[in-house]
Amino acid sequence: MSTDVAPPTSLRELFLGFLSIGARSFGGVMPWAHRVMVEERRWITEADFAETIGLCQFLPGPNIGNASIVFGKRWFGLSGALVAFLGLFGLPFIWVLALFALYADFAATNETLRAVVTGVGAAGAGLFIGTAVKLGRVIARKPAALALIAACFLAAGIGRISLFIVLPVSLGVALVCARRGWL
Amino acid sequence: MTLVELTLYFMLLSLISVGGMPSVLPELQRYVVDVKGWITPEEFMQIFAVGQAAPGPNILIASLVGWKVAGLAGALLALFAMCGPSAVLAWWVADLWERFRDSPWRKAIQRAIAPIVVGLILSGGFILATPGAPDWRLWLIAAATAAGMLLSKVNPLWFLAGGGILGATLL
Repeated sequence: MSTDVAPPTSLRELFLGFLSIGARSFGGVMPWAHRVMVEERRWITEADFAETIGLCQFLPGPNIGNASIVFGKRWFGLSGALVAFLGLFGLPFIWVLALFALYADFAATNETLRAVVTGVGAAGAGLFIGTAVKLGRVIARKPAALALIAACFLAAGIGRISLFIVLPVSLGVALVCARRGWL
Repeated sequence: MTLVELTLYFMLLSLISVGGMPSVLPELQRYVVDVKGWITPEEFMQIFAVGQAAPGPNILIASLVGWKVAGLAGALLALFAMCGPSAVLAWWVADLWERFRDSPWRKAIQRAIAPIVVGLILSGGFILATPGAPDWRLWLIAAATAAGMLLSKVNPLWFLAGGGILGATLL
């Protein structure tokens, strides 16, 4: 498996690969990124993919966007990073604006459409909650982790305190906890 | 001036967007809805819904906010402002991260960030399911979706479709 992977040989190939990730990413980008880079085009190994995505999850920014920068840089430097990023976002950018423009045109007069989209929004909110539970289950055995999750939720979700305050404070506390082995 | 303000705000937000769009949504909503009043809570939820349903990275929700506030220029600037600063950081950190593979600090950072991201994503879900006064119908859709997602492995798009159908029937 690890022996027969080869990085893209041209910027064109890199661009088309990321274009095909963005173009097909209905319902989430990450599964498609995996499919294109690991299975279809065989640019990287499974382990490499997991490692890089893991890093990108801990960096600020959209993790797949960061991954496009990291892989693009690794293979072609600055031009690679730019080409991969533009390939990834090019089509989804156009589609999301087109969809929203279309929606705005119809929604003004159509009560049912507004209800449908509000329902989709609530379901999207549910996906977030499900994701949080999924990620939280793994770490919540430690009381300090549970307390941090609750504190962040109370501060940002209920108290509506700015993230510019919540993040530095909670990160400071969490780093101390992590160094003491509580997390 | 709104465009400059929006761009600068997104550039700052980019630097603290650990966990991506889900964890900055509460902050984004707070700023554009509560503080600036550029968008109503209902509009914000609909922007989110369209951004979730459309294919592509959900960071594009930032572009829709930009579009709503300042048209096409707003949409483009929002995307680059939201991704630029964090991309520069990713560019520099990728090599460092590899070099400090076994450093205790790297492990501490990983452990520290995880519960914060969980708390913030939970906040994002709660705020989006509560755009106005608490509404049991929206909470029901959200709870059913969360449960469905945890109990099965189908493409999340089906849950969004289900939410749309429930929305049309209940709302």
